[in-house]
Amino acid sequence: MKKILFSVFCLSLLAFTSIDYSDQTCDSENLANACIPKLASGFNFLKSYKVDGLAKEKVEYSYVFTKGTQYMINVCGSGTNTDGIVVSIFDKERNKVATSKINGQFISAISYPCNATGIYYIQYTFDEPSTHCGGSALGFKR
Amino acid sequence: MRLLVYGLIALVAVGCSSGKKPDEQAFLQSLDSAKNVGPGVDEEVINSILEQIPSPIEISMLLKESGSRYSPEILNSTSNLPKYNSNYKKALNLGIYGTDLGYTNIYGQNQDGIKYISSIKSLADDLNIGQFFDVETIGRLATNSKNLDSLLLITTMNFNHINHYLQSQSRDNLSVLLLTGGWLEAIQITCQAAAKNPNNLELQEKIGEQKIILEQILLLFSFYEGDENMASLETDLNQLKAAFDKVNINYTYKESTMEIVNGVAVIKDNSTTTIDIKPENIEEIRNLTNSIRNKIIS
Repeated sequence: MKKILFSVFCLSLLAFTSIDYSDQTCDSENLANACIPKLASGFNFLKSYKVDGLAKEKVEYSYVFTKGTQYMINVCGSGTNTDGIVVSIFDKERNKVATSKINGQFISAISYPCNATGIYYIQYTFDEPSTHCGGSALGFKR
Repeated sequence: MRLLVYGLIALVAVGCSSGKKPDEQAFLQSLDSAKNVGPGVDEEVINSILEQIPSPIEISMLLKESGSRYSPEILNSTSNLPKYNSNYKKALNLGIYGTDLGYTNIYGQNQDGIKYISSIKSLADDLNIGQFFDVETIGRLATNSKNLDSLLLITTMNFNHINHYLQSQSRDNLSVLLLTGGWLEAIQITCQAAAKNPNNLELQEKIGEQKIILEQILLLFSFYEGDENMASLETDLNQLKAAFDKVNINYTYKESTMEIVNGVAVIKDNSTTTIDIKPENIEEIRNLTNSIRNKIIS
């Protein structure tokens, strides 16, 4: 009996601690647009990305970065600066070449001077606490 | 009495179903009749590949910084606009004119830019996507070379919105054509610049790099083989691919390093690519690109 009660207690605890985002909405388009003017001076805008992680653990896009071009990618969260959103860049072989979480610190932008042309994957993940909702902008300069 | 009521109801029903608003009719007419996507192809897959294609503005910026002179004769003349009477040609040349506009903007050639703005608006309106092209703002910004940053921003945003809209409306075939046209024009301009500057290795490498992008474009075209026009262009692009197959791109990965500077994570990319491209490769690519592009703009 004690074991049954204990199991029920543990299951209930698990249910309460699992975060359900299904009833939330994410205005990632506006957050992505808000990120555009935050690109550092001298960077020309290329694309904005919606970061809607309500229904997934990670959000991923890809882009062809070219050698000799410097790229900047920033992150904008709802509420606090980055809202626990971490942006990472992977090369075509899925080697991580950059990340915005360094020594536990959340950085709001990555500057990536590309030395190797190819397809790169731009991945957004969420460190709790996070609303799993944000936006991002990509820019470049030569 | 009942018959009269039923008759009136029937009349109203017929009247309502046949009366479409003029703009809705125009929209429906503008839709391509050909099938957009092959069976079993997830539109999200197509959109993810479309997102990869770089903006032609990167190449225009490189050209200017390489010291290449402004050459309006290599652009697609706006006088060709009346020739584009199918959605296929309109979408391709919308992309081409978009690249040309970016090129004129970067070189501060405002008078030429205004012509391209007008042509782009015309094509966009014909494709029922003109509402995303802010002609007034772009035209105003184009009159002053100090507005270059804002001009590039607005133009890029407008084209991004157009692409997103087309994808959301399941008209991604037009998005593919738009991006392909833009890319072809960018590579054509680069090839012309490389021909005038044969010692410029960066331009040669830039041409070689397009191999990567062409592979993605052909992947997109493979989803539309049921469309006669797209299948024909795919055949041409495959000939271009055969030329690019002679270009070797070698990638060597090395772990990158990073430091935080003024709140920004600055990466040092230690990986490298080497692009092995010979003058004869460049000539073949230039000739094929010109041939494909001339078919599209004529």
